[in-house]
Amino acid sequence: MALDISKYLGLFVSEAGEHLAQLGAELVRLEAAGRDGAAVSELVDGLFRHAHSVKGMSASMELDGIAALAHRAEDLVDPFRRRGVAPDAESVDVLLAAVDGLGALVARAAQGEKPEADRALLERVEAAAARARGEAAPEREAPAPPLAEPQSPGVAPPAPPPAAALHRRVEVEVEVAGACPVPAVRAFLVVKKLARLGQVVRTAPAEEDLRAGRLPGHRLTATLETPAPLGEVERALSQISDLARVAVAEAEARPAPAAPAAAPRLAAAPAAPAEGAERTVRVRVELLDSFLDAVGELILATSRLRALGRAVPEEHRPPLEDGVDRLHATVKDLHDKVMAVRMTPLSLLTERLPRAARDLARRLGKQVEVEVRGAEIEIDRALLDELADPLTHLLRNAVDHGLESPPERLRAGKGATGHVTVSARRERDRVLLELADDGRGMDPERLRAAAVAKGALPAAAAERLSDKDALQLACLPGLSTAAEVTDLSGRGVGLDAVKRSVEAVGGALEIDSARGRGTRFVLRLPLTVAVQQVLLVRVAEEVLALPIAKVHGAAEVALSALDQSRGAPVLPYDGALVPVLDLGALLGFGGARPAPCAVVVADGEAGPVGLAVDQLLGQQEAVLKPLARPFDRVPGLSAVTVLASGRPVFVLDLARLGAA
Amino acid sequence: MAKRVLIVDDAIFMRNMIKDIFAGGGFEIVGEAANGLEAVERYRELTPDLTTMDIVMPFKSGIEATREIVKGDPKAVIVMCSALGQESLVMEAIEAGASDFIVKPFKAEDVLSVVKKVLGGA
Repeated sequence: MALDISKYLGLFVSEAGEHLAQLGAELVRLEAAGRDGAAVSELVDGLFRHAHSVKGMSASMELDGIAALAHRAEDLVDPFRRRGVAPDAESVDVLLAAVDGLGALVARAAQGEKPEADRALLERVEAAAARARGEAAPEREAPAPPLAEPQSPGVAPPAPPPAAALHRRVEVEVEVAGACPVPAVRAFLVVKKLARLGQVVRTAPAEEDLRAGRLPGHRLTATLETPAPLGEVERALSQISDLARVAVAEAEARPAPAAPAAAPRLAAAPAAPAEGAERTVRVRVELLDSFLDAVGELILATSRLRALGRAVPEEHRPPLEDGVDRLHATVKDLHDKVMAVRMTPLSLLTERLPRAARDLARRLGKQVEVEVRGAEIEIDRALLDELADPLTHLLRNAVDHGLESPPERLRAGKGATGHVTVSARRERDRVLLELADDGRGMDPERLRAAAVAKGALPAAAAERLSDKDALQLACLPGLSTAAEVTDLSGRGVGLDAVKRSVEAVGGALEIDSARGRGTRFVLRLPLTVAVQQVLLVRVAEEVLALPIAKVHGAAEVALSALDQSRGAPVLPYDGALVPVLDLGALLGFGGARPAPCAVVVADGEAGPVGLAVDQLLGQQEAVLKPLARPFDRVPGLSAVTVLASGRPVFVLDLARLGAA
Repeated sequence: MAKRVLIVDDAIFMRNMIKDIFAGGGFEIVGEAANGLEAVERYRELTPDLTTMDIVMPFKSGIEATREIVKGDPKAVIVMCSALGQESLVMEAIEAGASDFIVKPFKAEDVLSVVKKVLGGA
């Protein structure tokens, strides 16, 4: 094959990865379905399709090692598919191992290697397949024929996918008769006729050109992927008039979902959607990030222009402002569109969870079922990446610490299998991601005791905390009430890390628990991270920004008039007393606040805190930029933004501010 | 057995001309329609082997009629009759499911060759 396949590698890695993730998720779902007696044949078909796709794709990429392992996995699924039953637990184990093995091979392929499959794993999958076939045989009067494909072990040449499932790639070339008055319409008809036989993956000229009446040289070439035999393609074309010449030839065989087909479409304008299917392109995430960066710069430049406009003499201002308004509207629209492109369904994240929970539960001798709801909800891709670790941690936590062992559950009057529900829902401009288990729940009393023992807060303060606030103590660094920290959910990252990552993206973590009934973690997340509403405040000569999501409200008070509690003033707010901290002193700016000063009430590390500032400057949309060194080491700062005046302003990390 | 044809055009003169061409080619004219609404009704009653369809017609365009007919009978063979300069409409009709097209003004032998091809190269 002279074709340069290396340029398809990125596409291959991402698509193969998707197939493997789904394969893993479906395996776990299958097991659950098998227990519940639900219909499984569709799921088993799905398994087969995914394995088959990976095999075909890797064979096309000349990654024979991957193809060989995928081929074995497919063989293992096949007998179950033929019988329409779910694979037994042992086969699921082997298949999951194969999925992991394939994932590792794909990762190596991504590095430019041509990895060989692990021989022991190949043999293990093959042995399981043989066993599955053996059990399958007696069930049918006409036993399923042995697989058509070669069974030679090891580095068998990548077997071409079986003919039935194969989509033939057909190259079509037609010349429209010179006498035809509307050659482009003729060519268009040819394309549409071909589309009825399969998928037209390429045409030259492109469909858009045909629509515009362009058919240079009266010639059209097209590539069709179709299950139809060549003769049928020829017959269909023979029904079209005004064609001076028709040539139909078979290109080299490709598996049905041949990824490279997408590439030439990059050139096509998205103006004319193909019949039925939406046309899409794949874009590197970094490229999207750079779009967003550029849009952020545009937003800043626009507000800078607006600010400069105020200095322009009155009579010249309207046309300038009109222009800036239009620019602003366009930039806003562009921003919305870029954001829309970055939106990614949560399923990308949640798909792996049932599998991870199952593996963990098996190791711990527990039983768990994970239900995922609302996985279709879309959030910013950047957020998704940030959430992967926290969510996995919460899940491990739920299985390891939350769920009881089957006997313990039975004694408590629960079913032996624990349930973990991961659900997502939109609430205005936020996404609520919730992970709930029906385990033993958290004990606020033990958390209070642990916090006091660790010296994190005085006993009296611990006593005053409501049960709900006491649960938040679990997020203090290094605080664990688990009888033993297992290697599974210990790992040096605790809930404090989860809370930090959630807050780093402008979200908040809530904990809710009832003893014996389970625990619920709620992550309140923004839809996107890059643009946030901030409250600007002035302290001494500095302007600082507070994320609006963390701000409850503000009040104008004279600090000296406030009651004192343990040496600090407290502000009555929303039925509670909120400790007030001097932001200037906290940041080391010094200087006293003016007599009646503004106090912003915001979420601190352990409940609401008041921050005394000199002046409130108002709310603003800020484009957040990550901090560069050495500022990223300063506790209490989370990002930087630029004001319309061009002045850079730090965005405070309220949770860590108190600790600073 | 002769193939059965339904002729759809809002101009009587055009219908007559097309009828003559088809009759001369050994087809059986089973019906006529003067607009898209009638075309859909007639098609359902008659299920002809072939329908010729004008594009620009009152009440319902030939494109809409084509879309409806093909939806009810994916195997319907519909040949659009269009004037020069209506290329984009013809493409729309093709998207809607038309099998082929002829461009007015047309010559009898051209029309017959198109429909013979579209009916299976007979």
